[in-house]
Amino acid sequence: MTKLLSLMLKGSIMNIKIFGLTLLFALPLGFIVAKGRMSKIKIVKALVNIYIQIMRGTPLILQLIFVYFAPYYIFGVSYDRFTAVIISFVINYAAYFAEIYRSGLQAIDKGQYEASKVLGFSKLYTFFHIILPQVFKIILPALAGEVITLVKDTALAQTIGVAELFRAAQNAASREFSTMPIFIAGVFFFVMNYLVSKFFNIVEAKMNYYE
Amino acid sequence: MNEILIRANNISKAFGEVKVLNDISFELKKGNVLSILGPSGSGKSTLLRIITQLERADRGSLYFNDKPLFEDDGSKANYSNNKIAREIGLKTGLVFQNFNLFPHFTVLRNITEAQIAVLKRDKHEAEDRAIALLKKLSLLDKAKAYPSQLSGGQKQRVSIARALAMDPEVLFFDEPTSALDPELTREVLNVIKQLSEEKMTMAVVTHEMEFAKAISDHAIFMEGGYIIEEGDKDSIFTAAEKERTRQFIHSMSN
Repeated sequence: MTKLLSLMLKGSIMNIKIFGLTLLFALPLGFIVAKGRMSKIKIVKALVNIYIQIMRGTPLILQLIFVYFAPYYIFGVSYDRFTAVIISFVINYAAYFAEIYRSGLQAIDKGQYEASKVLGFSKLYTFFHIILPQVFKIILPALAGEVITLVKDTALAQTIGVAELFRAAQNAASREFSTMPIFIAGVFFFVMNYLVSKFFNIVEAKMNYYE
Repeated sequence: MNEILIRANNISKAFGEVKVLNDISFELKKGNVLSILGPSGSGKSTLLRIITQLERADRGSLYFNDKPLFEDDGSKANYSNNKIAREIGLKTGLVFQNFNLFPHFTVLRNITEAQIAVLKRDKHEAEDRAIALLKKLSLLDKAKAYPSQLSGGQKQRVSIARALAMDPEVLFFDEPTSALDPELTREVLNVIKQLSEEKMTMAVVTHEMEFAKAISDHAIFMEGGYIIEEGDKDSIFTAAEKERTRQFIHSMSN
């Protein structure tokens, strides 16, 4: 039993790595995508829109397989599975985050930009000090939902052979002819997401200092 | 003779096919108050938004202390470079109909933020200035409140304080009481009146005729993007030449 638990703990470290790296890259990338989606340049807007449609319109599991195998079939080169997982997750989640950011940006009254302009704030200052804090508060609940989904999606990394928690549980299950490891993996995911929810609850409470 | 602070010559502006301003010319002298009257859709707000650089003029010229913000070159309004435009912008304040306070900042920070970030005042100096203004506008007890905790009248007074803290040479008001309940209108009008007594240069778009008459030195009446009539206070409010002006002032005075 202890051996099983230590195996699964090891596996879950992989999930946490995928989770952390995806957020690290996808959260800022999402903003660039959102800006592209809202661009006045028609071609940029159209291309970004197609990208978002593909990312949201096809299964992540398929995107994983494509990102990992396509370079092999097209150029004959293969590369690190873990890198492929991170690339797939980042481009997928950036699309979802972008739409969340866009909803937040569009919820800001244009009067906030006008007051900033008349007071003499630069565009950059206005964005980071006036707009972004308000957007952050608006999108927090939607963002929390997406981040919780990400925790669960990390289990998909096994599709291209990356050893993570759920794979470890499945291996153990077939070795021991028992479904118990699968349920234990479920508890692991639940606990991770419990912590994520708690975190977002705290941040939301912190942002409640104004209405 | 007071010096002329703002001189506008033949300003025109269209949104697509719709002409919203046609050949607007006026002067605003230092220490004077100008009322801009007219029905909705007459172009009053657009005129303020052009002077405060929220919109761009198509044609005409605008001078601030004899420096051009834009000058007509015979085919279009030619804007001065960013440095001059910014310099002029910092000297013009605008109070909005909907206040546009920053909801995530306290009242105090709403008033200090631009002083610190734009005018590079140090924090203490900015706070001293903000507190003096809050005291003057009887809002000192609200310094730590957030905008959502204030009444409409209080919000508008804070936004006036926010504009004044930047030490503008002229302050524009775009229907400052139109979003307020009648009983809250009074407290805002009193503040503007107090500023006029202190010889603050101002231009006010308003539907409050009694108030406009009380504070203005000069008034213009606009309709359909044209100035129908302009003149000093008495000629507009009590002895307007044009029938349409008299009619409007009469209908708004009840």
